[in-house]
Amino acid sequence: MKIYFELNGEQQYVDIEPGESLLSLLRRLGMKSVKQGCNTGDCGACTVLVDGRAVRSCITFAAKVRGRRVTTLEGLGSPGDLHPLQEAFLEAGAVQCGFCTPGMILTAYELLSKNDNPTPEEVRAAISGNLCRCTGYRKIVDAILLAAKWKREGRWR
Amino acid sequence: MRLRGIKRFHYARDVEEALSLLSAYQGRAALLAGGVDLARAARGDLEGLIDITGMGLSYVREEGGGLRIGATTTLTGILENKAAQGYLGGFFCEVLRQVAAPPLRNMATLGGAVVSAHPWADIPTALVALGAEVRWSDEKGEHRASVEELWQGQFRKIFRNAVLTEIRLPAWEGAFAFEKLSRSACDIALLNCACGLGIEDGKIAWARVAVGATPRRGRRLTWLEDFLVGNQPGEGLWREVRDRVEAQVEVSSDRRASGAWRKAVVGPLVARTLKRAAEKMGDA
Repeated sequence: MKIYFELNGEQQYVDIEPGESLLSLLRRLGMKSVKQGCNTGDCGACTVLVDGRAVRSCITFAAKVRGRRVTTLEGLGSPGDLHPLQEAFLEAGAVQCGFCTPGMILTAYELLSKNDNPTPEEVRAAISGNLCRCTGYRKIVDAILLAAKWKREGRWR
Repeated sequence: MRLRGIKRFHYARDVEEALSLLSAYQGRAALLAGGVDLARAARGDLEGLIDITGMGLSYVREEGGGLRIGATTTLTGILENKAAQGYLGGFFCEVLRQVAAPPLRNMATLGGAVVSAHPWADIPTALVALGAEVRWSDEKGEHRASVEELWQGQFRKIFRNAVLTEIRLPAWEGAFAFEKLSRSACDIALLNCACGLGIEDGKIAWARVAVGATPRRGRRLTWLEDFLVGNQPGEGLWREVRDRVEAQVEVSSDRRASGAWRKAVVGPLVARTLKRAAEKMGDA
């Protein structure tokens, strides 16, 4: 079957299998920031935004994004033009192996889109379903709080 | 995740079309809303998927102090709704905030929680305590039942050929509280409890108590509800509750927790939840 949807600001009209996951589709389209971790919706590595909401792409059927707006980390920033959230993760040292980072950033993006002055507890609650096996969570929380500060100062897009 | 064998994906526009598609597939199709459970544990015999999120069943409406919630409303959709936030002082939202993590709450629907009704889930325990009613449609027409009645029967068989349309939460003059025990903030419950109390002239006028993940699905402790009525809330009563629950509630082991551990904590859990409900009434 064919579906149309918006991926990182560009219209897509693609063939999918009716039982295919969004994760599989996005990887086929070259979105390598979207990671396959647990493949059961538990770890958060595959998190993307659909109409601005963070969802698990591994347990989302690709057919469900017909006519909707999908954002992956590639749509947030690029190596030469990092999004402030990406810069904050670097600044705070919140990246080690990097496998969880795209999901962490997109989950944080949804949080900050609704609340640009979260408490540390609210940040921890927001990322409670995103697992990191390297750094621990302190620096990730620090990074999100730093990004929130930058957003309040107008350093955002 | 890639479901093998799926030949068609449909976008149903209304309940009639969804029922017609279900009938055409003769049991080899599944309805899809949030899809969280379907994608994680799909039946192997499926050939068709029917998306029901475009049928106008995503809403929250206040009615006479209660709530009418469309079956495809996401947990986030409920959490962000003003009427839901105000229902019973925010009790139902308090429950939903403890279910999974935000990205899963963006996907999971209340209808999905009713149809799956996992024994370890928090929502069934809360719905049982609240006395929620569900409505569904099949080829014979529209049906309604309390969640307790529904889950006592073969509800999974019903929903192979029916569309759950609405969940109704009744109005209560009192306060409810919810507590769960789990390994981490977003983990599923090792034990959960929902309690409601009405207090008049310093004494308990009505009580609703449900315990879930025992490891069975949430069910009411009607014997405890009967005992509570007429008593005065306070530490003495909570101690009595703790001892009675520990002695009478049936718990057992599963791969997440031992029966011995559940036995040790179920009494304090119920007593604590009742105390919190009484505190919300300003009378503990």
